[in-house]
Amino acid sequence: MAINLRTPQAETREQRLGTITQWEGRAQDLARDSAFTYGCGRDCGPGGRRLCELSSPYSQATMCAEQIAVTNATIIKDTVVIQHSPIGCASSQSFTSRYSRDLAARRGWKPEDPKSICTNMGEQDMVFGGVERLADTIRTAFERHHPRVIFVATSCATGIIGDDVDGTARQLEDEIGIPVVPLHCEGFKSRHWSSGWDVIEHGILRRLAPQRPHEKRDDLLNVIHLGGPDVFSPLVNPLGLQVNLVMGGQSLERLADLSTAAATVTMCFVLSYLATGLEQEYGVPEIRAPLPYGLDATDNWLRDIARVTKREHLVEAVIASERARIAPELARLHKLLKGKKGFVAAGAAFAHGLIADLRELGVTVDDAFSFHHDPSTDSKDAEQDSLGHLVQATGDVEHFTVSPDQHFQAHAALKRANPDFVICRHSGSMASLAGRMGIPVLPIFYSNDGIGYEGLLTIGRAILRVLPRRRFYEDVAAHSRFPYQQWWLDETNPYALSADAAE
Amino acid sequence: MNFQTRIDDDARGSFSAPPGPIEQVRYACALGALASVIAIDRAIPITHCGPGCATKQFQALSSISGYQGGEFHVPSTNIGNKEVIFGGADRLDELIASTLKVMEAELYVVQSGCIPGLVGDDVANVVNGYRRRGVPIVFAETLGYQGNNFTGHESVVRAILDQYVAKQADAAAKVRKGLINVWSLLPYQNPFWRGDLTEIGRILEGIGLEVNILFGPASRGLEEWRAIPQAELNLVLAPWLGISLAKRLEEVYGTPFLHVPAIPIGARATGAFLRQVADAIGADADCVESFIAREEREYYHYLRDFAQFYAGCTSQYRLPSEINIVGESAYALAIAKFFVGDLGLNPGVIVLTENPPESELPAIRAAFRDLAPGVDGEPVFEADGYLAHDLITKHPRVGEYPILFGSTWEASTAGEIGAPLVEISYPATDEVVIARSYVGYRGALQLLERAYTTVVRQSTEENPELAAI
Repeated sequence: MAINLRTPQAETREQRLGTITQWEGRAQDLARDSAFTYGCGRDCGPGGRRLCELSSPYSQATMCAEQIAVTNATIIKDTVVIQHSPIGCASSQSFTSRYSRDLAARRGWKPEDPKSICTNMGEQDMVFGGVERLADTIRTAFERHHPRVIFVATSCATGIIGDDVDGTARQLEDEIGIPVVPLHCEGFKSRHWSSGWDVIEHGILRRLAPQRPHEKRDDLLNVIHLGGPDVFSPLVNPLGLQVNLVMGGQSLERLADLSTAAATVTMCFVLSYLATGLEQEYGVPEIRAPLPYGLDATDNWLRDIARVTKREHLVEAVIASERARIAPELARLHKLLKGKKGFVAAGAAFAHGLIADLRELGVTVDDAFSFHHDPSTDSKDAEQDSLGHLVQATGDVEHFTVSPDQHFQAHAALKRANPDFVICRHSGSMASLAGRMGIPVLPIFYSNDGIGYEGLLTIGRAILRVLPRRRFYEDVAAHSRFPYQQWWLDETNPYALSADAAE
Repeated sequence: MNFQTRIDDDARGSFSAPPGPIEQVRYACALGALASVIAIDRAIPITHCGPGCATKQFQALSSISGYQGGEFHVPSTNIGNKEVIFGGADRLDELIASTLKVMEAELYVVQSGCIPGLVGDDVANVVNGYRRRGVPIVFAETLGYQGNNFTGHESVVRAILDQYVAKQADAAAKVRKGLINVWSLLPYQNPFWRGDLTEIGRILEGIGLEVNILFGPASRGLEEWRAIPQAELNLVLAPWLGISLAKRLEEVYGTPFLHVPAIPIGARATGAFLRQVADAIGADADCVESFIAREEREYYHYLRDFAQFYAGCTSQYRLPSEINIVGESAYALAIAKFFVGDLGLNPGVIVLTENPPESELPAIRAAFRDLAPGVDGEPVFEADGYLAHDLITKHPRVGEYPILFGSTWEASTAGEIGAPLVEISYPATDEVVIARSYVGYRGALQLLERAYTTVVRQSTEENPELAAI
């Protein structure tokens, strides 16, 4: 199914990709059952079967798509994000601002608070509708900050009362003369927060990435990432390519350049909606090679970029020189990490990438925790089956748990794994849980850390920095407990509560 | 005492969202009161709301503000399409049942968010089923569009009082001499609440009282809550938060309450506060005076030494002369009184940000009169950060050296007026706070340390005038 840009609402991941959030078993079985056998039975092959999802009567608070969409809209420069919502949805503003200032420091930008405003809906608005409040807020945002673009994010409340956000946005757009882009991100509409990426990328594709057919640049490579330092330029500049780094904070100019690039890569296939959309709408090819985690994957990723951008004559020299550059340090890290047991917790393709990194560093990974699972990608290209590639290239993961960052399930999984360290993203519950269980933890806030040749060194050194903290965590673990019943504290099957638990 | 009394909860009834939009948000929604439940040892909130609601409120209040941590593994229905369309009562029922199977607590507090309010789930009915079976569970309606975490806190506490405390076998037991309940800072909202409640508890115990501090590490948790009806006095130590709770307890148990709007900072205010409490409860005067004397001896020893710095022997530092504050009324009032009344600063702009109920505004204004004899503060009520910024920067200043007490949002405002910024209100993302306190005797000294360290650093690192010399 192609990406549908005609409507202002992005279809959710569940609808487009068959995304699931609950599963337990071997990685090879999940790979076999999902993606390219999903839902049709056509290419199942021997042993293939339809992907089943578990359910759990008990659940703990997760994130929502709105937070992802709003955060990533807010950090786009020269914009104002309006959260059309009661005040609580906007309590993430302080987090976004902290993130934005941190990002600015790492990217060399002027640190300043990003602009976001909450319409601050009350009970009256729930009864009589909030479109007037929204219109006033859009005017206020324009007068206060003179932005070049205004985003309007919906909320559960506005979705339920049925405010005409699209109509109001269009009307105000005519009035103030700048794009007013609705982001339909009601939290209840998708079971996974990563749908928020699709929402903001949908908005960008529809409104902020114009067609510029006569300005094609054969040296420009779009890189779609989650945010953080630019680790991509050092990798591809030697190929004569310039990086157009988008998502995770950028200027509107970067977005306007999207359609002029020679190709697009994504550092995580969870973000590939934009890349696939650019190919579909503007013919900018999407690089589909497995993600650059580990030496071989990085080689092949660079080769694919070189192939698509016609720089094959340069690439082998770059690969050879990079491999040679990192070899001594990689050997040192490998020696220090060999035989250590790691536990990975992250979102889908990103988790697969981190597992590959750890295995390249000599770490044993038999246990992983993925916050959701995309059985396919928008391109429907088997090349992007990152879990399948992981299993094929580096072997199975015996205990592969898909869970939307559920603390109680993570507890069971960690108890089963008993690792030397945990490496995780969305560090909220997982990082503090691991620490409290006496396990050193490396939270990856900036998800580019593990990318490419240098990424192996970055991750390896970071693990070595946290290992000695076991002394601290064990002390805390010995003197605190979680409020679970004893039987659950002893449990090692994350899905023990599910009636239809995996066999 | 009827389960349905929550309907006439006066705090919630008096809340109204400010008419304008809000930039630089300074509080959470009513559901954010789940932080108050988390602040009670062995109590667990069960949230019936959208998937991101509970996480967002607690992340904002705790994880990012002061990096306070706190136990967050909160059961939530994470409402999806199905529950919006068909209703979510069954899903809540399933969640409560499984929570009881997995989690271990002495009290469960069910809180509802926007969605069940809009789709009309009968949450009370679901919770009542468990209550009838003797499960220690209560329900507080904390719809996000109906209030903020201040009014939500009153709803949650009210639910615990009416549906849990009142049902204890010994609820009507007789008054325990010298036992006092303290209703003060809002947990997590104020980044220093843990240390402050500890200090408030310490000084009240110092004058011979037994204290139910109710929240945080210094509290004995639900054991204290169960003893609430036996207290001799309810102390409301805040400009307005908690008054409705004290009134409720007076109505139900006949417990008198004492309302002290300003949390004491420094020996002068703390001594007066302790004598006021002692008077109200009839505490032993010798015990009170000897504690105060002991504390003052130590406090003024430190203050004597600090006076050397404050005398300006090290006079290259621009010692602030005008205090500006952006924050919620409790800390704004306490800090204004200390710096104006004890340190000799002039009041500048004071912006109160928590959107208190309309009915409380005149009394809050009155509390800012006579910060020092004849010196009044003129607080402005404003929840929007953009307007708060304008109020501070457009205020005319002649010859004054301003200092700004506020949140992380005030960083650029402070820069614009050349003031050192001391983070005292939510969100404080540039402070790591563990046990630090800014109130009472010990807290006052830590507040001076923090404030004047900031002054020294700002003077030496960022003052272009001095750098040029």
